[in-house]
Amino acid sequence: MSRVIVITSGKGGVGKTTTTANLGMALAQRGRKVAVVDADFGLRNLDLLLGLENRIVYTAVEVLAGECRLDQALIKDKRQPNLALLPAAQNRTKDAVTPEQMKQLVGSLTESFEYVLIDCPAGIEMGFQNAIASATEALIVTTPEISAVRDADRVVGLLEANDVRKQHLIVNRLKPAMVQENLMMSVSDVQEILAIPLIGVIPDDERVIVSTNKGEPLVLSAKMSLAGIAYDNIARRLEGEKVPFLDLTAAYDDLFSRIRRMFRSPSR
Amino acid sequence: MLPTESENGFGANWADVWQQFKQRINSGERFWQPNTTVHLIARDRLLDARQLQAIADTLAETELHLKRVYTSRRQTAVAAATAGFSVEQHTPISHLNQTTESGQALAEPLYVEATVRSGMEIRHPGTVVILGDVNPGSSIVAYGDIVVWGSLRGVAHAGSGGNDRCLIMALRLEPTQLRIGEHVARAPEKPPAQFQPEVAYVASEGIRITKSTDFTKLRLVSQ
Repeated sequence: MSRVIVITSGKGGVGKTTTTANLGMALAQRGRKVAVVDADFGLRNLDLLLGLENRIVYTAVEVLAGECRLDQALIKDKRQPNLALLPAAQNRTKDAVTPEQMKQLVGSLTESFEYVLIDCPAGIEMGFQNAIASATEALIVTTPEISAVRDADRVVGLLEANDVRKQHLIVNRLKPAMVQENLMMSVSDVQEILAIPLIGVIPDDERVIVSTNKGEPLVLSAKMSLAGIAYDNIARRLEGEKVPFLDLTAAYDDLFSRIRRMFRSPSR
Repeated sequence: MLPTESENGFGANWADVWQQFKQRINSGERFWQPNTTVHLIARDRLLDARQLQAIADTLAETELHLKRVYTSRRQTAVAAATAGFSVEQHTPISHLNQTTESGQALAEPLYVEATVRSGMEIRHPGTVVILGDVNPGSSIVAYGDIVVWGSLRGVAHAGSGGNDRCLIMALRLEPTQLRIGEHVARAPEKPPAQFQPEVAYVASEGIRITKSTDFTKLRLVSQ
């Protein structure tokens, strides 16, 4: 049975595409056949993060129009042949596709892939409706900021109303130093509001910017950064393994910071 | 039984009504007894066979059965009859007479077992009891009291028909805004050091919040 997972957030810029790219690559590295689908028509980014932009010939729009076959549009990653990308069209908008068409596309993908990861666009309009149309599971990505959490909450409500019950939370771009100083929401603060099971916490890492610009997902590097390890752990948890969460605060919990915290009054 | 009431025309389109319907079904799951019959009061909403079937299927998932459809539109009646439901067609109720007269009895309390998420609005002509949290960005509007067995972080409006004597109660009262009757208030700037169950009510100075343990004493004194 293939798993169709939509990666969504509501708020833009929290790390959906980065998560899709890295999770897709991590799962493929574990031997699973993974298809990643870019549902962000008009503002496509998934191809950039995977470094596959200059191999795009056909997009999902041509497949739906019948101008090419699905396997002609799918781009197999040369670094990891288990992973394939179905790119979105850059010259269209979100209304170029309907939920029924997305269901059709994803349906044909589930025949040959064990995982179909759908990269959802920001917002809750047509693009979002398209992306969640055929999903049975969702990964909600949020940053520990009040606006992102508020938007994620809205999205969780909409997903529940659309019968996507299996939802898991990924907290991205956590800055453990700020959390220690009570300047940033902690993971438990986020969970308090969203109330969905946590599947991963990714620390803020400059290497994400480098990897995006190079088109090389973090999980591919030989010497993996903390963020890369976190993504790999999420892939393992998706596969059912029980992986303990990384202790991100270890580097920041020395004697001086503890003393500082004692003298600081709790801020809201 | 459970009515699905929808207004004519300017109200919600099918997508919105469908979402609300699903949320309502999901949040009452524990209480639906298997094989309860359901009557659908469609009033003057147009429903086609596909929509009626979708409603019946969703109800069937929780072992509720759609038996009868009440409608005032001929098309809906025909679609329902073709789909095999018993139909009752009646002339449109004159809306001119539908004033909220004083002394109208409250509807049965609405019991919701779900987290009320941002963007959701629960309106009920009676008391509302929520088993779960009310997240910021959502609102509860009730003719009667509002009881939240969880954290109230959104907007709560009790006594929305103008009744100042309604109450808002929560295990954790951290609302964005509280409204009782015609009064509006923000939560106090400083949250309490320790959260306890609290009750919000209207006193001479406006809306006041007090610990639930103190509230019962207050009530006895003012009575």
